Amino acid sequence: MFRMGAVTDDDKLDKEATRQVLRRAIGMAKPFRRTIFAALCFVLMSTLGLLLGPVIVRYGIDSGIDMKDTTTLRNAVIAYIVVVALAYLAARQQYIFINRAGEGFLRALRVRTFDHIQRQSLGFFDRYQSGVLISRMTADIESMAELVQWGLLQFVAAVFLIGLSLILMLSLSWQLTIAALLVMPVIIIASRKFQRDSNAAYLEVRERVGQNLSELQEGIAGVRVVQAYAQEKEQTRQFVASNRSLYQSHVHSIRVSTWYFGLVEALGIFSTGLAIGIGGWLVGRGDVTVGTVVAFVLLLAQLFEPVQQLSQLYNTVQSSAASLDKLFTILDTEPDIQGGSEELPERADLIVDGVGFTYPSTDTPVLRDVTISVADGERLALVGPTGAGKSTVAKLMARLYDPTEGTISFGGIDLRDATLGSLRERVVVVPQEGFLFGGSIADNVRIARADATDDELREALDAIGALDRFDAFEDGIDTEVRERGSRLSAGERQLVSLARAALVDPAVLVLDEATSSLDPGTEVIVEQALDRLMIGRTTIVVAHRLSTIQHADRIAVIDAGLLAELGTHDELVEIGGRYAALASAWAQSLPS
Amino acid sequence: MPAFDADHTTVSTWPLLWETLRAQRRNLLIGTMIGLAWSVGKVASPVLIRFGIDRGIRDDEMLWLWAGLIAFAGLFAGFFTAFRRFYAFREARWTETRLRERLFGHIMSLHIGYHDRAQTGQLMSRSSSDLNQIQMFVVMIPITLSNLAMISAVTVILLITDWQLALLAFASLPLIQVLGSRFSRAIHPAVLAVQAEQAELATVVEESVGGVRVIKGFGAERVQAEKLRTEADDIRRESIKAARIRAKYLPAMELLPQVGLIAVLWFGGNQVINGDLSLGALVQFNVYVALLVWPLRMIGMTIAFAQRAAAALGRVNEVLDIASQVRNPDHPVDLPTTGGAEPAAGFGDIAFRGVTFTYPTMASETETGGPVLDGFDLDMGAGQSVAVVGATGSGKSTVVRLLVRFYDVDAGSISIDGVDIRELSLHDLRRAVGIVFEDTLLFHDTVRANIAFADPAAGAERVEQAARLAGAHDFIMGLPDAYDTMLGERGFSLSGGQRQRIAIARAILADPRILVLDDATSAVDPSKEHEIRDAMATVMAGRTTIVIAHRPGTVALADTVVLLDHGRVIARGRHDELLATEPRYRDVLAAMEQSDDEERRDLSDDVEATIGGD
Repeated sequence: MFRMGAVTDDDKLDKEATRQVLRRAIGMAKPFRRTIFAALCFVLMSTLGLLLGPVIVRYGIDSGIDMKDTTTLRNAVIAYIVVVALAYLAARQQYIFINRAGEGFLRALRVRTFDHIQRQSLGFFDRYQSGVLISRMTADIESMAELVQWGLLQFVAAVFLIGLSLILMLSLSWQLTIAALLVMPVIIIASRKFQRDSNAAYLEVRERVGQNLSELQEGIAGVRVVQAYAQEKEQTRQFVASNRSLYQSHVHSIRVSTWYFGLVEALGIFSTGLAIGIGGWLVGRGDVTVGTVVAFVLLLAQLFEPVQQLSQLYNTVQSSAASLDKLFTILDTEPDIQGGSEELPERADLIVDGVGFTYPSTDTPVLRDVTISVADGERLALVGPTGAGKSTVAKLMARLYDPTEGTISFGGIDLRDATLGSLRERVVVVPQEGFLFGGSIADNVRIARADATDDELREALDAIGALDRFDAFEDGIDTEVRERGSRLSAGERQLVSLARAALVDPAVLVLDEATSSLDPGTEVIVEQALDRLMIGRTTIVVAHRLSTIQHADRIAVIDAGLLAELGTHDELVEIGGRYAALASAWAQSLPS
Repeated sequence: MPAFDADHTTVSTWPLLWETLRAQRRNLLIGTMIGLAWSVGKVASPVLIRFGIDRGIRDDEMLWLWAGLIAFAGLFAGFFTAFRRFYAFREARWTETRLRERLFGHIMSLHIGYHDRAQTGQLMSRSSSDLNQIQMFVVMIPITLSNLAMISAVTVILLITDWQLALLAFASLPLIQVLGSRFSRAIHPAVLAVQAEQAELATVVEESVGGVRVIKGFGAERVQAEKLRTEADDIRRESIKAARIRAKYLPAMELLPQVGLIAVLWFGGNQVINGDLSLGALVQFNVYVALLVWPLRMIGMTIAFAQRAAAALGRVNEVLDIASQVRNPDHPVDLPTTGGAEPAAGFGDIAFRGVTFTYPTMASETETGGPVLDGFDLDMGAGQSVAVVGATGSGKSTVVRLLVRFYDVDAGSISIDGVDIRELSLHDLRRAVGIVFEDTLLFHDTVRANIAFADPAAGAERVEQAARLAGAHDFIMGLPDAYDTMLGERGFSLSGGQRQRIAIARAILADPRILVLDDATSAVDPSKEHEIRDAMATVMAGRTTIVIAHRPGTVALADTVVLLDHGRVIARGRHDELLATEPRYRDVLAAMEQSDDEERRDLSDDVEATIGGD
């Protein structure tokens, strides 16, 4: 009732889907079956304890009080104390065991989902927005915590309580049981109606809450426009309208549920009346004892609360099932890039042969029939207008995607047949901007090779000429980079990124040249680092600067997905084609 | 939450709640009265059960009357419990609803300087989760009041029936309350610890998703997987700690009433044997004790809720207490008009006189910037257009922000048609100046509503005319629902150029005497740039216009150019004059052109990135 969670459109699961999801979840809970079994035993014990109370009272009345037998009464009291103490201990354990199982389940779910996400190719990350993936791993899993923490417990306890009460009541007196349960059909019908209505109302409320929140967010985000046009009043009026409709849906949800709570309470007392009426009549006929009637009265007082809990729990179960369903959708996505079994040689030529590529869920190919062979140690610049596909060529060379046609091979081995481990050791992509993770500078470099020693880290940093710069920090390379590396400048982040590549010491380096310019001071240092890094390696650069292109051995001009020209700077200028035009435009645009 | 403007915050938490509740006192009172009726039914039933057993069963007198009365008491209590619940929840939601509206209105009116520093997420949580906590407390008010009534009634009845037995039966009940508040105190930090661990896991996930290219590039999945395992383990550990606290308190709270029941059975049982007490009375005691369990537990909850609501109210109040630093004058002056069909025709003089302005520093910033504008002077006659040119950080955009009083100048003055803008009402000032922002914000609404933003009552004709002038009509007609197409985050997505043209149409419809174009072409595909420029030229005709230029092409639109450097005007003249005489102007233009190229490249890179990633 009180919940206010992240809202998405696909929170509606029908009964069948809910059942399927739950079945699968139960399958996943297998490793915890012992803990769950223990928890169930404890739940059973504590429930029994709760139910034995009225039975003991009955015994105390019938055999003790009615017989004026103080000893029996005392025994009953002692038995009662023992039962309550045991019930307490069992209840404590039930919480602990249920939570152990539940939290274990959630932990396994977190780890499994995360591992699965990490196995996916980049194409998967293009398809899913990062926000969606993050909320799967956080909000969706957390929304199950409520169920795990006490929902499950309440559910099991309620079922046990109802079941055991019935058994107990039947064993005491079947006639009285029937009498007391005359109201049951009404309760069942009412519960079903409540479940349906309140669930619909709940989903409606969630949707309105979502709308309201986005109105709010839009208002805050647009406050400059709103104020610039003096529309504060109008915006507030619109917000009030949305807010009132949220209020109305709240009121509706209260209205469809409130009668049910009244009814359950009314029927609880009503059935007590029945038990006394019919019970009294049966006592008169000598069929049951007074103690039995009292036991019934006490049992009935406990019976109606779990019924009420069960129907409320349904909503929690259903929304957890919806969250699980979303996680299963991810878990069911098979990674489309998987490693082969062959080891790549230390050094070799990289050959792109007749490669075509179409991004998933699009029709137009980005690349068509591109063939380039890059010799070991060669420096190749990829040039071309934006959107022509040069970045794509670079990504295919590092097998961040697989070509849809043709092959890319290193030393004669198709990249698809190589183990991912050896591929990542041979070919390294240095992204445009240095992305940093939480942790120290050293941790960030070590991302590239988890087993690297401190000396190797320092060597890698030294190799690109960045060691002195970081050693000058107070904590040296153990300096925490803070959130997203905010402690470091853009240039320093780039240096960390280059040091990662140096640590791997790959045969092939794929560089996407940064477009955004750094401050002049660091720019020089980054460029020097880059130069050092490229020495002795095959390098493929997606080039944006003339200087970079001029330093390349050969230049490949990609235009409209095709390899338009390939050759040295001089050769291409000689031909007088696209590259020649580009180079002269470039030269002119440079401020003198 | 860190206070944004600590000096404006006064703690006046309860008056706010009191004021809100007072407005609803009638319904809250009704809720409480209904609650009292409920408690009558609830309190009556155990008494009736007692008579049912003693007189009905044991003495065989009027059995069915008692049974019937019990049943009736049940229906009575049930009926009122439903009503009590209805009133309590409805009123609580109403409190929440009204507070949220107040908060929203207030946030909308706060000066832009506040919004620069405020985090959207925090404001959002003020008006969602904080208000929800307040709501949860308000629910408890009528419920707790009637529960208290019931507890007192039951206490009195039992004391009258048999005061010794009553004391015994009740001995354990206050403990429930004590345990309840102890539990709240113990579980709260445990829950916070779990949340903190969850936040850490979220950080790992965020950086793994954000840095996926690095991770894939180096095959570093294992490193991140290890981090995640650590965090997942931490969450589990903290959750189980919290579970242990629950395990300690909850069963105890559930079973404590049984202690009372046992005491009643023992002492009461003996009294029955001695003939001092009837069996029915014994059962009545039992039922009453069971009856009090929930209300007592709820009192514990209410106290916990009240504490949380107080904290939430404090945070909400912190926002409500901030006064806008840009205020309406007490006696606003009107702008001069000609009257007639076009009252503003011929008006639109602007004068900046020695304007100096420094942005208030943010707490997170270590270095304090100097003044952005420093003795800035600019005179513009009605109908003139001026392009403001300058390097990044020269204060170009600040000029506009000061003109519409997003901020107030530190020194100097700005006047429109001879009136200091601080003497105008904010509404008049902002309707007199129309801004097309650099980054176009479209609301989640129809095209029509987005254009008619300044004047929601504008007819279809005016909207269409504005759209035509802005060169937007044709593409709008091509949208799925033409002018009724929904835009914004969840709506139809337009290209940068289309968005700009909608924004220009928005400004045209507002029909301001002064127009500000914060380079409307900067987010536009270069091939479409001239279309925007055409639209801009149409709108500028005959209207005082300030163009904040980021692209060389835009500069040409204006009659004159002012060159801004370090917050003051260093040159003014026609574009070609300045180009010929002013080397610094040439530098700025060259830099513009270069970054322009880069921007375009970035722009197309973005396009590629959205398809393929980069």
